[in-house]
Amino acid sequence: MSAQSESREPTAGRTAPMPDWLHSLLGTLLAIGIALLGGAAIALMVGESPVHVFMTLLRGAFGGMDRIAGSLLQSTPIIISGIAACIAFRGGLFNIGVEGQLYMGGFAAAWVGFSFVLPAPLHVTLGIVAAIAAGALWILIPAFFRARYGTNEVVSTILSNYVAILLTSYMTIFVFKRPGGWSETAPIAASAELPQLFEFSRLNLGIFIGVALAVGLHLFLTRTTAGYAMCAMGSNPKFAEYGGVPIRRNVFLILLCSGAVGGLAGGVETLGVHHRFMEGFAPGFGFDGVIAALLANGHPLLTILTSLFFGSLRAGSLLMEVETNASRELITVVQAFIILAVSAQLLVRRRRDSQAGERRWKY
Amino acid sequence: MSHAIEMRGVCKRFGPVVANDDISFAVKKGEIHAIVGENGAGKTTLMNILFGLYHRDAGEIRINGAVVEVDSPRRAIGLGLGMVHQHFKLVPSLTVADNVFLGIEKTKNGLVDHAAQIEATRAFSDKFGLAVDPEAIVSDLSVGIEQRIEILKVLVRGADVVILDEPTAVLTPQESRDLFRTLRGFTEQGMTVIFISHHLDEVMAVSDTVTVLRDGRVVGTRPTAELDEDDLVHMMVGRNVSFDRRARPATDGERVLSLNEIWARDSRGLPALRGVSFDVRAGEIVGIVGVDGNGQTELAEVISGLRHVSHGEIVLHGRTIQDGDPMLVRHAGLAHVPADRLHRGVDKADTIAGNILMGRQRERPWSSHGIINWRHVRGKADELIRRFDIRANGSRTLVKTLSGGNMQKVVLAREFSRAMPFLLVDQPTRGVDIGAMEGIHEEIMRQRNEGAAILLISVQLDEIMTLADRILVMFAGTIAGEVDADTATEDEIGFLMAGRDLPSRDQMAVNAAS
Repeated sequence: MSAQSESREPTAGRTAPMPDWLHSLLGTLLAIGIALLGGAAIALMVGESPVHVFMTLLRGAFGGMDRIAGSLLQSTPIIISGIAACIAFRGGLFNIGVEGQLYMGGFAAAWVGFSFVLPAPLHVTLGIVAAIAAGALWILIPAFFRARYGTNEVVSTILSNYVAILLTSYMTIFVFKRPGGWSETAPIAASAELPQLFEFSRLNLGIFIGVALAVGLHLFLTRTTAGYAMCAMGSNPKFAEYGGVPIRRNVFLILLCSGAVGGLAGGVETLGVHHRFMEGFAPGFGFDGVIAALLANGHPLLTILTSLFFGSLRAGSLLMEVETNASRELITVVQAFIILAVSAQLLVRRRRDSQAGERRWKY
Repeated sequence: MSHAIEMRGVCKRFGPVVANDDISFAVKKGEIHAIVGENGAGKTTLMNILFGLYHRDAGEIRINGAVVEVDSPRRAIGLGLGMVHQHFKLVPSLTVADNVFLGIEKTKNGLVDHAAQIEATRAFSDKFGLAVDPEAIVSDLSVGIEQRIEILKVLVRGADVVILDEPTAVLTPQESRDLFRTLRGFTEQGMTVIFISHHLDEVMAVSDTVTVLRDGRVVGTRPTAELDEDDLVHMMVGRNVSFDRRARPATDGERVLSLNEIWARDSRGLPALRGVSFDVRAGEIVGIVGVDGNGQTELAEVISGLRHVSHGEIVLHGRTIQDGDPMLVRHAGLAHVPADRLHRGVDKADTIAGNILMGRQRERPWSSHGIINWRHVRGKADELIRRFDIRANGSRTLVKTLSGGNMQKVVLAREFSRAMPFLLVDQPTRGVDIGAMEGIHEEIMRQRNEGAAILLISVQLDEIMTLADRILVMFAGTIAGEVDADTATEDEIGFLMAGRDLPSRDQMAVNAAS
């Protein structure tokens, strides 16, 4: 037997020391802890007490019902984008184009919203469907080339972001601009609006859509044959292929679903919050979602938590900027630290796996 | 005379598991000392302690009679030890000489002196008859040559005790023979060799002394000349194990698999199969042998639907499958034990239950209406864990925590429990220890006797001789010949493997006499 497995023998037959989700959670907490320490250091540099900054941040995010609702509002598009990223991630693929799909979905939903006159449930449903279709359409080319020719989807989805942002921007300014004022389209009909939950906040039904998606994805991955095949692909594609899983077809479908959910994120944001399409209406929500999914190690339920964290940071930073010397960019710095910590973890994990699993079979 | 290496009372624990329990043994200067034992017997742990990779919990190490503290590989190298690991650590894009001197570069004026490195590498290579071109790029070389480079690295660093961990696991029989000649050369120059193995024939052929480990303890250290293979097996396993040719009832089953003029290309686009035709009938084992790289890999891939067939027809259980995909082939009736179990055979990140499910996730009662019946899956997995004696704490155990032999059993359990009419079994016992090997052979025979058609591909000729009814020899992408396993000799098969025509028996006798 190989030296490797023999030296691993002492652990043979032992069940995993801790469940995977706990392992993911600990890694996540560690990353967040490191990031907050980094943020504290920055706060000190701008001459603020880190305690004061963080307390203000906390108060901004959770100090009162309206602020909690604000945090949930900010979290909504991040959760949905995060689920979009999870879908690709668990299938062994990367969709870094969630931001672009979100813009396309947002625009498509707005277009349906202001172009048609329909009864309420139908109108809003049609808007959602349009957003989903636009997101799927926007990943169609990367998905096709990945499935057919193995073109790296990371590059193609990143590039498609720029096209989407600039295209929607062009459409808004030169084709559908509302006369006067901001670069935005006409408002959508009231029949196309997602219902708000409270009087005092723009928090809407979208948060439930996000949570339902996460739970649904979790059940799909753990309970269904299709989810099982998808996880096997993500974890060991050669094994899945050998077991009869149609890899190419699934790569295409997984990316398409991921893009569709990305589009949905934009649709929910348009129909639920802004009620129109505005140029640059959702800065970085798609990217935050990708990071939230990575931070959760692709686990859909943990993605809810990591998304809530990012959403609360965004919400809290508004008050922090007003009441302290720390600017909103502090939050960006914290996020950057998180990305660093997560990628470091990924590197360590990959190294450990390759040391344990590397074996040169020769036929 | 003092011993080159002596270990006394060495203990090593990993958590609750005792890997080495009070191990004492001595290696004489100038001998080839084999350390044998089953997987998990503690061989590699012991050598890693000697080489300073692990810290022992108790015991002492003496080198040339003096007590030494080996606390790091660097220290071990300083003491004249050198270790060739099973997994080579070479930089593929660099030359042989650059690899050999990596970390201890010869320099001139602050720059790497490539000429001097090449010269020195050549000198060492010539001195020990290694026949390595110092200027070749490593990625162009075969695994056998790569191992010689690892050996050169050890020699250049001044080792006079060379430790090799399972050196033949990746070698062809020819390369193994070359290696043994090299090791013999070392001892003739006064060096000492320790090698880990569980291939008993090579232990018998090359070693002077054998130390047998079992369950972390020394069973005994004996001169090889006093032992035969049966003694060794008995010492290793603790009981008698038989690898004689298996008795079998004759069968005349119907044709289950037939290949007709199959052509296929390898991954580089070169022809790998050139008109291969044969049948496998129900209740027979057809063995495929051949030197590595003569088309066996591609043969397994085309049959399992993983490789495109450029020409020809494959019929499995009445269905034409050469244009299909793995799913179609599985539905037609294939169970497949792949050669590359780590990369194809299992998903290490998943549980045993999740691995047992693969390939039948769409079949009832494993799932219904797209929903997996995990209760059934776990129940079946637990049942298979018992039946195949997989050492694990139940079906939720992650496969990556299992040893290689147990991972292989997971693959076998999954595929053999499908009751398919055709089994494609590729290297079933590679990296599996002797006790487990016997069980796997028994299981293959049971499948045969229950009427399965089996195609067995193995680089181990003795395995094929033990199990197969008919033996097909592959050479350069063709079936070079077929021999009856009951009457074939290794020499006959060797001729066919080398691509030569089978000489008549008389000629063989003459050759053998001369």
